[in-house]
Amino acid sequence: MSGGEADVKNSIWMRAVLYGGVFLAVGILAFATMGVGVANVKHHAYEEAIEEYEEAKYAYEDAKANNASDGEIKALKAAKEEAHHHEVDAHLSYLTWRTAGITILLMCVTYMAFIGLGGFMNSIYPDDHGHDNHGYGGDDHEHHGSGSPIIFSLGVLLFLMGFPSFQAVLGNLLSGVDANLGDLGLSMLGLTIITAGVANWWREDLPFIGNHEQIATSDPFEGQHIRKAGIWVFIMSEVMVFATFFSSYLRMRTEWCTDWQYSAGNCESVNVLTASDFLRPNGGMLNGVGGQGDFMTILPGAINTFALIISSYTIVLALKTAKQKDWTAPEGLMGKLMPDQKSAVRNYLLATFLLGSMFIVLKLVEWSHLVAEGFSIGVQPAEGVIDYTGQAASIFYISTGAHGVHVFVGLLVMLYLIFKADTVGYDEKNAQGIEYFGLYWHFVDLAWVVIFPAFYLY
Amino acid sequence: MGEHETTGIFESIVDKLPGNFDIYFWNFVVLMFFTLFEVAAVFFEKIPGTDIHISLYAVWAILIGVGVIKGYGIAAYFMHLKGDPRIYTRTALFPVLFVLLMLWGIGLSNPGSVQALPEWCTPNWDFAEVR
Repeated sequence: MSGGEADVKNSIWMRAVLYGGVFLAVGILAFATMGVGVANVKHHAYEEAIEEYEEAKYAYEDAKANNASDGEIKALKAAKEEAHHHEVDAHLSYLTWRTAGITILLMCVTYMAFIGLGGFMNSIYPDDHGHDNHGYGGDDHEHHGSGSPIIFSLGVLLFLMGFPSFQAVLGNLLSGVDANLGDLGLSMLGLTIITAGVANWWREDLPFIGNHEQIATSDPFEGQHIRKAGIWVFIMSEVMVFATFFSSYLRMRTEWCTDWQYSAGNCESVNVLTASDFLRPNGGMLNGVGGQGDFMTILPGAINTFALIISSYTIVLALKTAKQKDWTAPEGLMGKLMPDQKSAVRNYLLATFLLGSMFIVLKLVEWSHLVAEGFSIGVQPAEGVIDYTGQAASIFYISTGAHGVHVFVGLLVMLYLIFKADTVGYDEKNAQGIEYFGLYWHFVDLAWVVIFPAFYLY
Repeated sequence: MGEHETTGIFESIVDKLPGNFDIYFWNFVVLMFFTLFEVAAVFFEKIPGTDIHISLYAVWAILIGVGVIKGYGIAAYFMHLKGDPRIYTRTALFPVLFVLLMLWGIGLSNPGSVQALPEWCTPNWDFAEVR
């Protein structure tokens, strides 16, 4: 839509509530099928594999105790090892479905809460009050900035202040231990303020159709859009955050004797297992752990890399489509998927959103496998043994986790962009939202360009 | 991000390529190709079809080189630093000084380094030894 004001009715906001309902339904369905149905079948298979392994182990020990022939012992040992591999595979297969189901449910519940609450809070305003003219869409008013980021930041501050207790209380609740619900107070207050800030932000931005974008009037950004300069400064602060992770990782890494360093003759014995030792083929082993990587173990990380690159391209396409003045529908299947410009922008954003969601699911599945295989921050070496695996796991989960949080926050913002694309719509005048968000999303891709080789391949 | 026309060597190459695809599409193709390349470099111990072993240092060089190419492709074209006013590139480069200082001052400062880093790489080595 171009020209005039965007008229945001309560019925439009109620559509956001409907989105929330759809997300909840998808989450429950995914959890019921993947996290419960398939996972239970896989769990039975896992239990059977444990029994087979126990039997094979017993047969092998029994043969050894009874002085069986060398050939028989050798065959039983091979059978025991095969049963062990089968058991490990069955366990990982179970974890894959269970983790995927739970992750999709939790993500969908968060999506539902985010878009549903935002929509609901805005829909309870009277139609004639404050919805269609906040100085964004009208020609008579100038953009005076927004207080919502300050509200949002206050919410984040309170949430993080209460986070240690929040995490402990939630853990206790999930495991059935008595929990002091009072500890949740600060974090819950923070979450409430975050939700209010986000909802208010949406209310201000949804009617924005591109008029009166604030322009910087002094150096160094003179003549540039203030919001664009702001997002670049924000991205640079994010660069510093990730640089701290990398400098920490580099400092640790120079001390570790990894399998690669050992193979190159730079140190005497392996004293650490990195994530890549579990994931890449021919990875190192320490105390009988690691070194089981193959094509399938490196696949999730590789798929995630491709997913982020594709999502970077789809968001470029969304912006390009929004800004195109003489857009025509493509032919064939793409034409059916994108019959008009508005749906094309929405669908490109939706594709970006789905790829980002897949990234999170695959990452958590991969984490569950790594923890099950022994790559955990809780690795305690025996007395007198030097083993830095716990340290390696710590920096791996912190760095990839921080990146994952960035992806997830990006997905929440993208939900709103999809909502706006589906209702008010984007065109050449108001596509800045996609452009500025795109810069953030590309930065997330850029960070992964460094994280993937540093942690998964090297 | 994707709003201005840019001119340069890569753009002129793209103009000569078959099909009606823009610089963003070809940037995407290049990024996909190099990602495949870095995964393959780690996956294969030898260059497929030959007996040539891929050494640790070769893998390092590939990972760093590919990282630089991919980083440039994303920042220059997808984030559109190449077409935007120079102030954005300067803004983007501003934290590089601090990043380099962190990587040098913290990252390469481990006195217990297994590779016996040169002295210039271990700025607080003496301090760490005394403690």
